Amino acid sequence: MMRLQDILSPFYVWKRAFEKPFSIAVLSAPRPGSPTYRGFHQNDIDKCIGCGTCAEICQNVSIDMVPVKEAQDGDSGLRPRIDYGRCCWCALCVDICPTGSLTMSNAYTWVEEGLDRDVRETYCYTPGADPQPWDDEALGYRKPEGYELLHLERVPMPHLAPGERLNSFVEMVKGYSHELAVQEADRCIQCGICTATCPAHMNIPAYIKAIREDKIAEGLKILYETNPLPGVCGRICTRRCEDVCALSHRGEAISIRWLKRYLTDCASAEDYKALLESEIKPLDRKIAIIGAGPGGLSAAYYLAGMGYAVEIFEQNAAAGGMLRYGIPEYRLPYTKLDQDVAQIAALGVKFNYNACIGRDLSFDDLYNRFDAVFVSVGMFEPYRIGIPGDDNAKVISGLQLLSDVTNGVPVDLGRRVVVVGGGNVAMDAARTAKRLGCEVTVLYRRREVDMPADVEEIEEAREESVNFIFQAIPLEIKTADDGSLSFDWGKAEMVQQKPGERPQPILIEGSRENIAADTIIAAIGQGVNYLWMDGEASAKIELKKFRVQADRWGRTADTKIFIGGDMFNPTADAITAIADGHRSARAIDKMLNPPREN
Amino acid sequence: MQELLDNLKELYALNGITLRNPSLAWAEVTPERLVGLLTQLRDAHGFTHLVLMTCVDWLEDGRFQVTYLLHNYTTRQDLGLHVYVGRTASELPSIHTLWEQGRVYQQELHEMFGIYFPGSPGLGEPMILESWDGPPPMRRDFDTRVYSEETYSHRQRTHHEPEQHMKDRLYPED
Ligand SMILES: Cc1cc2nc3c(=O)[nH]c(=O)nc-3n(C[C@H](O)[C@H](O)[C@H](O)COP(=O)(O)OP(=O)(O)OC[C@H]3O[C@@H](n4cnc5c(N)ncnc54)[C@H](O)[C@@H]3O)c2cc1C
Ligand code: SF4
Ligand code: SF4
Repeated sequence: MMRLQDILSPFYVWKRAFEKPFSIAVLSAPRPGSPTYRGFHQNDIDKCIGCGTCAEICQNVSIDMVPVKEAQDGDSGLRPRIDYGRCCWCALCVDICPTGSLTMSNAYTWVEEGLDRDVRETYCYTPGADPQPWDDEALGYRKPEGYELLHLERVPMPHLAPGERLNSFVEMVKGYSHELAVQEADRCIQCGICTATCPAHMNIPAYIKAIREDKIAEGLKILYETNPLPGVCGRICTRRCEDVCALSHRGEAISIRWLKRYLTDCASAEDYKALLESEIKPLDRKIAIIGAGPGGLSAAYYLAGMGYAVEIFEQNAAAGGMLRYGIPEYRLPYTKLDQDVAQIAALGVKFNYNACIGRDLSFDDLYNRFDAVFVSVGMFEPYRIGIPGDDNAKVISGLQLLSDVTNGVPVDLGRRVVVVGGGNVAMDAARTAKRLGCEVTVLYRRREVDMPADVEEIEEAREESVNFIFQAIPLEIKTADDGSLSFDWGKAEMVQQKPGERPQPILIEGSRENIAADTIIAAIGQGVNYLWMDGEASAKIELKKFRVQADRWGRTADTKIFIGGDMFNPTADAITAIADGHRSARAIDKMLNPPREN
Repeated sequence: MQELLDNLKELYALNGITLRNPSLAWAEVTPERLVGLLTQLRDAHGFTHLVLMTCVDWLEDGRFQVTYLLHNYTTRQDLGLHVYVGRTASELPSIHTLWEQGRVYQQELHEMFGIYFPGSPGLGEPMILESWDGPPPMRRDFDTRVYSEETYSHRQRTHHEPEQHMKDRLYPED
């Protein structure tokens, strides 16, 4: 029997149709999230560097780093892709992001048409790369001002005060204590963005971690895997790694160089000895290396470690190349260089000093006696200023001054010294002259911002009261009546000659200034010396624009001859020479492919 | 409150009495004396309200710490009681006869930590973990990650480590 209720019930329902519904119309009339609501992510992908720190901190493993752009220095090209099936909207990823690129919009609704797909294929996107309706939403969660999970400021490095530095060549940077080093190491987020930029691809995050965990011996071992001159590099490396440090985007880069220095300074003699303990199986192959600079030393270390009999031929009386005869002692104490060299010698590398190839020995001789030759003779032929009067005996090169000081040759520069140039050699020469008691003025053709010298070095030179004259073009050097030098120079203006190119200094018509000097130091660059290329063997080597041609492994047109270091790479710094040496060592090993029992 | 606790101390073997401030105190009691103490506090000393029950897993010490927080509306004072119980075969007396809502807290502690409260109504029914087959998830030895990996199906990860990815792209041969 049908009850009355059954007949009426549809009308009860219809009656409800005119009442205010209890449910909310989320899709047709969305309610906006509050202004700081933590909704779907936004990422400024041009600002993001793909460091993966967001993925690392996410407790729900919601973030995958996926390729979006080409990898390049300082940017992995990866971008975070977020799985909202896992995300709990905690915003830790936003708070930790070192570039500040990652934020959250206040959007929280996701409409998915149809359910014919596997649910795991949706509800997931790469913010900034996969377009979303909330990409330009201005509201949402941003890391609050003043709230900071990262330590953006460096632990300062203790220095000698400028006054204390001026009368001595004592090392000016004092080094981190254990406590300071651990504190600095603790700032590192271990993203590894820097590794690609280091020419030697040193495993930076790994050794910083070793410092943090106070595992010094292990840290030292990591350094030697890619760099057999870590004590040196811990002091004078051009540290391009620091330029790309993720922390440098909103704060100060990790002091990578000083941390490396800390490792080598506090490693004990036993730690160094322990590195030599793994057994080397000698191979019946001999390698000659010309030049005991960082390039030659590095190749020697890795080849000797593989079992080759290695002999170095060096024209000077000691090893190090420009590290010893260029870089002044207050930046790199000789004892530190000696320690690194001794470690290389301990592998059985034979050093022949006072052996100049092309003078004392012929290249052919080496070529015939050895299975391969690695050449890293550097660039030590100073360029002349190229103006009338630059052949005056009181015009010397920066390298001359620096090597004389290294060799203990007495130097007399007089009172007033003018240094011409804006690179590291100019800074080293100027500050060395300062330490010898001179008044020093640096003359540079371009502006301060154009100086190739390290910013820190310029700053320190200023602290030591070195004067600078910028946009100054040398014109002529004359001898004054009192026998001193009269140096004419002219003011330059910076002219953008072609769009996109760096502006060139052009002499202002008629400008002529004068500065008096007792010594003028030219530090405007060096060229390669080809004395070593004598005889027949080197005839096959190809030269182009005065440079020996080789591929990235240092392989020249002659299969037995390899090159590296300043004479080869365009960056001309110690770490690139070290990387070249290591790379050529592997190429030599590959070429000779000696029989080995496993 | 000090006076009250001093008075009860001997009878209920109270331990670790701490006065945080004039209106908040903590004390420790054994499971055996718990119900007696709560009854007296409720009926004789004005602590008529059970604010909450909660638990901390002291995994390293091998025990749970169950907390009962009481409130006195007249004096506006809070009194927290800690009871310790071993992590294996954990069992505590039920207090649902003193406060009916105790049943709900006990159901939750049973579900999340695996503590048994004999006689507590509906103790074994799931509160939020319908058809759960894992161990009580708030126990600290429960590995959320492992459980979720074994139990649920996952979206395939496509993660690349930045350092390795840069090596693959920029200097694969070095
Ligand atoms: C003043 C100065 C400061 C510098 N500061 C820094 C710095 O702070 N950080 C940094 O990273 N880099 C610095 N550099 C650059 C760095 O020193 C060089 O890039 C690096 O030493 C290059 O190594 P190399 O092996 O190519 O050559 P070199 O170091 O020049 O070594 C070449 C060696 O070959 C020997 N040799 C040459 N010809 C022959 C031959 N015919 N027979 C036998 N031996 C021969 C030379 O005597 C020398 O020992 C500086 C350089 C100078 C000059
Ligand atoms: S933490 Fe920031 S910069 Fe790094 S990958 Fe994530 S979004 Fe990009
Ligand atoms: S909001 Fe939290 S859970 Fe979501 S992706 Fe960011 S860190 Fe992971």
